[in-house]
Amino acid sequence: MLKRVMQNQPQVSPLAPRISNHEDTQEAHSEVPSKRVSSMGELQLPDVAPQDTSITVFHMKKKRKKLSISEFERAADSRLPQYQAQSTLDSTIMARSLRLSVGSLLAPDTVEKRGLLRRPKTRRAVDMQEFEGRVEQNMLKNKAGQNDLMDSQSASGIRTSILTSDAEIMMNSTELFVQPQMDEDSQSKLPALEPQLSDSKTSAQRSLISDADQEEARLEGRVSSVSTNQGRTQSYSKSSNLDDEHVDRMTRVSPETPEKQGEEKLDHSQQSNPMAEISFTEEEAVCSAERGASTVHSEHLEKKLSEKAELQITAAQNSRGETEMAPSAGEELEEGSIGGHRSPRAEGEITRGIGAESVAGHSPAFSSFHKPEMTPLSETDEQEDELQDQAVMIHLDSTVEEPAEDEVEHPPSQEVSMKTPAFVRAPAQNLLSTPHVAKPAAPSSPLKLLKPKTVPKKLRTSEKKPREPQIPRSLIKEIFRHFAKMPVTRDAFQIVEKCSERYFKQLSNDLEAYTHHAGRKTVEAADLEVLMRRQGLVTDKMPMNVLIERFLPLEYRMLLIPVAVGGNKVIPCK
Amino acid sequence: MRSTAPRGTLRKILKKHKPQLRLAANVDLLVHLSFLLFLHRLAEEARTNAFENKSKTIKPEHIISAAKVILKKSRG
Repeated sequence: MLKRVMQNQPQVSPLAPRISNHEDTQEAHSEVPSKRVSSMGELQLPDVAPQDTSITVFHMKKKRKKLSISEFERAADSRLPQYQAQSTLDSTIMARSLRLSVGSLLAPDTVEKRGLLRRPKTRRAVDMQEFEGRVEQNMLKNKAGQNDLMDSQSASGIRTSILTSDAEIMMNSTELFVQPQMDEDSQSKLPALEPQLSDSKTSAQRSLISDADQEEARLEGRVSSVSTNQGRTQSYSKSSNLDDEHVDRMTRVSPETPEKQGEEKLDHSQQSNPMAEISFTEEEAVCSAERGASTVHSEHLEKKLSEKAELQITAAQNSRGETEMAPSAGEELEEGSIGGHRSPRAEGEITRGIGAESVAGHSPAFSSFHKPEMTPLSETDEQEDELQDQAVMIHLDSTVEEPAEDEVEHPPSQEVSMKTPAFVRAPAQNLLSTPHVAKPAAPSSPLKLLKPKTVPKKLRTSEKKPREPQIPRSLIKEIFRHFAKMPVTRDAFQIVEKCSERYFKQLSNDLEAYTHHAGRKTVEAADLEVLMRRQGLVTDKMPMNVLIERFLPLEYRMLLIPVAVGGNKVIPCK
Repeated sequence: MRSTAPRGTLRKILKKHKPQLRLAANVDLLVHLSFLLFLHRLAEEARTNAFENKSKTIKPEHIISAAKVILKKSRG
């Protein structure tokens, strides 16, 4: 075992701050071909034989006194470089698995790690863990159903994953996510991210209203199982299919959109499955074909939302052609909603994604759908929110998901990206969407959603403003009450406050005049006395010191009036 | 009566009004003293006004009339 550990243990990557540990590990372990391997080895250590590592540590670093700590450190360090490497290096399956394992272990390690690394590490760990958890889920689900066509595209990362996933979608009719659309879009123009966004958006739209569970369901759907997305996409497809029936949809859309959306999310299973398959293939084809007018799409998108709901209810009317429409319609809806509503927000992102996916073909058909703009607005808002979130998530995913190994992962990554935004936004979305489905609460939601993700701390610090100096009200109240010896109304205190402010203004003016008259720039006690004399407070009969003694507490009295104490001493000393 | 005076706040207020003016040590205590005396005079005047109105509590109008007089008196 020791031998194996020694062999397996790779050189610690120099990335880790703990050079000592790394050096030790490097010395002890056999040379490692690459950082990855080393990182992997490091990871393996905790995964495989934490005990062994400790033993090896003991064995190798006799000088080290904190063996356990060093082991932790090494593990943590390995994780650190591992994560770093992940982002930089190509994703590999091994890395992925390692990351998964590491991610779970990372949390405890980071806690034990020194404080310097802990903060950023924990944050990353959390993200990583979430991500990995999601990835795992995806992997499990995808592996079950998906083909491994995308194996070759691991290098490209997300992009390739998207493409591959799209390709897969093409292959798997069961995939209902937008991916088919994305596939075409990504290939055509927009970067892979955008299609992801669009896909995620479409899926996100669904997930917006639904909880994270639904998202997972979608993920499952990717695996070709019935999922909310499928249902949604199917509904989308259905709606698209019914391009011909625009008129019908329009009528139905307005009243049903709010209902449908809820239903869509819930009901998808049965109707969509058969449809989804068909629609996907068709949608994919259609998506590639159509890219187009965002404005038109926006309308259509809105319509689509409503339509989708209807479609679900209407059940399979789906013609192949219609299925194509659905995805585009979904996209259009997104676009339309986005374009219509949230210009300031991450519309840029969304529109980009949507633009890529926008289906030009549907534009003419959907132009007629303007009515249900109101209802789909809320939906679109949500979608936008989702999209935005997804966009954010996608970026996160892209960075985190280095080891986007195979296409199997890609769909999960996409799903993950979709999931994460939905997952992250689920609570916020639920709050926003559930109470007001029709309400345009979305405008704030994307902002809200984005905020916590980006920089929550900055907001708090920037909100602080410099307060104007003023005498505390309590002090004024107390002093006045003591002097008045009578109950005073609350309104009267406001007036007293104003009087005191004016008094201080007068006071500063007078003091400045006196000091300037004396040829000085600093206000002295003599200036104050002159002021009080002019005020009529200090007279020949009433010296200043008497006033001081009367009104000021002892401490201040000692400071102001020199007192002669025994031993030839004067307080305060002059 | 309170045992501490808001020395820092007093300095800030003076600085706000006259930023170029500097304060010597413990001068803000004398400023606080003058403020106390001002409030004292204001309270006395308000009390007199309330008595004249035969009210048991000091009302804002009493204070307003009192402030007019005392502020004028407190001008250096």
